[in-house]
Amino acid sequence: MSASPIRTQSIIGHMDADDRARVRLAVKDLNFYYNTFHGLKNVNLNFYDRQVTALIGPSGCGKSTLLRTFNRIYSLYPEQRAEGQILLDGRNILDPSIDLNELRSRIGMVFQKPTPFPMSIYDNVAFGLRLIERLPKADMDERVESALRRSALWDEVKDKLKQSGMGLSGGQQQRLCIARTIAQKPEVILFDEPTSALDPISTGKIEELIEQLRGEFTIAIVTHNMQQAARISQFTTFMYLGEVVEFGPTERIFMTPEKKRTQDYITGRFG
Amino acid sequence: MNAASPLPADTPPAWGRVRASRRIADRILKVSATLFSLISVVVLFWILGMLLVQGGTSLSLDVFTKITPGPGSEGGGLVNAIAGSLVLTLLGIAVATPVGVLAGTYLVEYGRGSILAAVIGFLNDVLLSAPSILIGLFVYTLVVQPMGTYSGWAGAIALAIIALPVIVRTTADMLGLVPSTLREAGAALGAPTSLVTQRVTWRAAKAGIVTGILLALARIAGETAPLLFTALNNNFWFSPSLMGGVSNLPVTIFQFASAPYENWRQLAWAGALIITVTILLISIVARYALRKDIVR
Repeated sequence: MSASPIRTQSIIGHMDADDRARVRLAVKDLNFYYNTFHGLKNVNLNFYDRQVTALIGPSGCGKSTLLRTFNRIYSLYPEQRAEGQILLDGRNILDPSIDLNELRSRIGMVFQKPTPFPMSIYDNVAFGLRLIERLPKADMDERVESALRRSALWDEVKDKLKQSGMGLSGGQQQRLCIARTIAQKPEVILFDEPTSALDPISTGKIEELIEQLRGEFTIAIVTHNMQQAARISQFTTFMYLGEVVEFGPTERIFMTPEKKRTQDYITGRFG
Repeated sequence: MNAASPLPADTPPAWGRVRASRRIADRILKVSATLFSLISVVVLFWILGMLLVQGGTSLSLDVFTKITPGPGSEGGGLVNAIAGSLVLTLLGIAVATPVGVLAGTYLVEYGRGSILAAVIGFLNDVLLSAPSILIGLFVYTLVVQPMGTYSGWAGAIALAIIALPVIVRTTADMLGLVPSTLREAGAALGAPTSLVTQRVTWRAAKAGIVTGILLALARIAGETAPLLFTALNNNFWFSPSLMGGVSNLPVTIFQFASAPYENWRQLAWAGALIITVTILLISIVARYALRKDIVR
């Protein structure tokens, strides 16, 4: 992979949420269909460079659907299709000529349920790396270690790298999945309710991790947990029935929402 | 019992209020279910016991060293039949395994939702229950007649056709059990479907697929009918080219069991015991492999 333009920019991870960062991912007039069901309606939304953007909303509002358009994972299912534009650094990733494997190595995804592959911990992390690079063993070892360190998993697994990734606890498995994703050095990471299957302690660790990863990656996270959105995100999008109701800096969305529906949702009046 | 006078709210209802008829029905079902499962197990052990007694007494070193005896001759063994069965079964499974695993993979990984996959899946299930004698006749007209001779190759093809649907079905079922999130996770890293299938999905379903192959092996190890028209049988060592009749255990048992010679009938028992024990062992290994995978 060539060096992406963000390397030349200064780190803006700790700027105030109100400040405008560079747009990394721009969604323009996006519509999504499951067969005939209209799942997303005219979505327009920006995701900013090295910021965490939370997608919140009641079940079935389309937040996961939206996330799944960014790496076009929906295209595994022939009955699903998207119309409109999603620009990653200005390039429309919905264009049919886009190489999906290339796209997915640039936009990583972590799922709700941990999905370790049935192979060793080492091979789990190396799997994604091997897809994009051919590395000598020593370099590969180094990259695997670095990814596991940055996922706060190294100390727990360094003595059992050859053991199956399936033998880890749920929280460890989820961090393994994060390690696997960041090993590929993606530009954007999508988190689809990454902590909803985990206990509070594991959840805390994942949240800390996302906070750290923000310095390097643009992050979009779907969450059912509004405290979580408030804790870890700089921007929040509230969705309802396939539409974006409100988007803005997290603090403003939670303190002074403009729309009544947003207010009702975040104060727990419906959900 | 005191249903007539309602109790005050804070007094718990008296014990013994579950209706007696419920309890009796429960008992009846439990006793009858136990009884009938005992019956089926007894039948199974009856067969096994009879085999062990009759076959056990007929077993000797000769069975594994001497070839099948001609009519009227003394002694003899089954070594040529055992060897022939091994060759036919292994050839059959060697042909059926790649075809079956790849077909099962197509059904789940590539054809899911397509009409073609639905049709193949349905026809496969029909083939699964096709009478094996029909498959023997099919291979007879397709292979034996044009070649003008019975052959081990025809026998192996017939056995492969019987093993094939078993392998297709178990492969498809086992791949179907692999959660789609695992495939999505592979795809989300940018891995093409072929790689996800080989490195992730197959690996996740490995024990189940191997079990299917072993069960197919056990199934064809004892098949008689498809061999009658294809490999036939042979009371001597078969040709290494496998042309002409190839001796095998099931057809040997079939011929020897109804023969008027005492040594033939004893050898039939011994052969039956050998096949049964082999199938039992294969099945146990298959079970063990599957269990190990589920526990992990």
